[in-house]
Amino acid sequence: MRRFVLLVMAALLLVAAVPGVALAQDTPVVQGAETLADVALAVDTMWVVLAAMLVLFMQAGFAMLEVGFSRMKNVGSVVAKILAMMGIGIVVFWAVGFAFTFGEGNSIIGTQGFFLSGDEATYAGLAWTAVPISAKFLFQVAFALVSLAIVWGTMLERTKFAVYCIFAVVFAGLIYPIVGHWIWGGGWLSEFGMQDFAGSTVVHLSGAMAALAGTLLLGPRIGKYDDSGNPQTIPGHNMPLAVLGVIILWVGWFGFNPGSTMAAVGQSFADIALTTNLAAGAGVLGAMLMSYLVKRNIDVGMAGNGAIAALVAITAACAFVAPWASIVIGFVAGIIMYTVLLLVDKIGVDDPLGAIAAHGMGGIWGTLSCGIFATPELVEATGFGQPGLLYGGGLAQLGVQALGIIACGGFVFIASYAVFALLKATIGLRVKPEHELDGLDISEHGVYGYSEQLVATDYQNGNGGGTQAAKVRTAQETAS
Amino acid sequence: MEQKLLAQGTGRNGVINVYPDRIELRTGWNNENADPVGLKQIAHVSIRGFVNCTLTLEVNDGRRILVEHMALPDARQVKTAIEDQKRKASLYE
Repeated sequence: MRRFVLLVMAALLLVAAVPGVALAQDTPVVQGAETLADVALAVDTMWVVLAAMLVLFMQAGFAMLEVGFSRMKNVGSVVAKILAMMGIGIVVFWAVGFAFTFGEGNSIIGTQGFFLSGDEATYAGLAWTAVPISAKFLFQVAFALVSLAIVWGTMLERTKFAVYCIFAVVFAGLIYPIVGHWIWGGGWLSEFGMQDFAGSTVVHLSGAMAALAGTLLLGPRIGKYDDSGNPQTIPGHNMPLAVLGVIILWVGWFGFNPGSTMAAVGQSFADIALTTNLAAGAGVLGAMLMSYLVKRNIDVGMAGNGAIAALVAITAACAFVAPWASIVIGFVAGIIMYTVLLLVDKIGVDDPLGAIAAHGMGGIWGTLSCGIFATPELVEATGFGQPGLLYGGGLAQLGVQALGIIACGGFVFIASYAVFALLKATIGLRVKPEHELDGLDISEHGVYGYSEQLVATDYQNGNGGGTQAAKVRTAQETAS
Repeated sequence: MEQKLLAQGTGRNGVINVYPDRIELRTGWNNENADPVGLKQIAHVSIRGFVNCTLTLEVNDGRRILVEHMALPDARQVKTAIEDQKRKASLYE
């Protein structure tokens, strides 16, 4: 018996030792700096791909946000649009957009590396990081998709599906890449030292300005303004879905901002994650405070928009500012967003999602905040621009930031306005009023997003609208 | 009985519907205010502009109805529908 026990123990020891031996044989022994660099590159690449997935997942956040703020009759069209935009955006950005943004060229636009055919040297705008080009592309295409998603938040519930598709090609293929090249691709604004770490201007302000151009030409939803021209609230149908969308976006932003380091090695990406999170929290508080001061209640939708506005604002500044400054930036963003949202509503621009206020004004404030709060240490570590106004940097950096906002915002607005104007003059931007009242799900896609019994449509042409069940009840009451 | 809708267009916070015997301007909250004008009363229809078009309807009682900020294809469709209907019914002088 004793011999048997000894034999079993020896066998167990052998089994326990074998994987260790095997591992020791497979794992390269870290001996020199070159091997360490390889491991660092592998970790960085893993981080960039993971961050790309997080940013791509933000599309789910946009989908839920838009669905929540839409009426039931339009939810199918919202998700169809998101899917179509992902398809078009990815292919077009691969074909030309990436080359226009990061390819070698002049100070206005990249001219080399179409169809992702270039090597490290071709994409000079991204030469500062050693991760593979495929990882760089995955990350950057997710950014382009976010910018594209922002465009449509203001144009919900009344836009033709064809308009989405045609504009997506121009925006992802030309408009967004030009602005991206100016700031990130070695263009003229990067030569001035403009600070826009993860894209308050490139991604968010661009999307919002295109959205503003489209919305001005599109006009408000039917029923948005009363006889005297006063704005009426058209409530979304599902606030929990909208808040789920906000939270998905919030989580996705951990890919957006910290991912823009394109490196997991070093402390900066964790610091950036911290400033991002602090700003978002402060943004919720800022918007809630405004909501209480103005309406004496806590508007959940506005609280969500406050988080988004703050996240947008900290996107430019996340690598340049101290944690306390990120709280100030986020809080002010929440307040600005709420104020601008009320103003936008009053001047006749129907923005169902508040994208112009959250992404537009958030982007402008965030870009300017770099020129105020950027610390000398972080500016030196990042290697872009100069310290902000509060740290003795004077007005120089603030001026560069303002120039960037005017140039990029102006260019995107004019270019987008031209494209939307052409579309309006040829195929029209809006669906027919009849289709708008019935809902885009049935007119554009042939099915409802929800069960037909649940969906309320609007009054038109003498028939009462409302749910099918309500119509049946009314008919029965009339008959009896 | 509901009449067949021949053409439709959206202007700035208002909708114009064309029926076989009339046009209907719907305005206000959820477009619930309907202002019908018989096709007989419409003297002339014109379109001005290329992007934000203005559809002008001149009515026999002296009114000029403007539907602003329309898309060109919609405005053209509405104009054509009104003119076709008037031609069919020989309502033009």
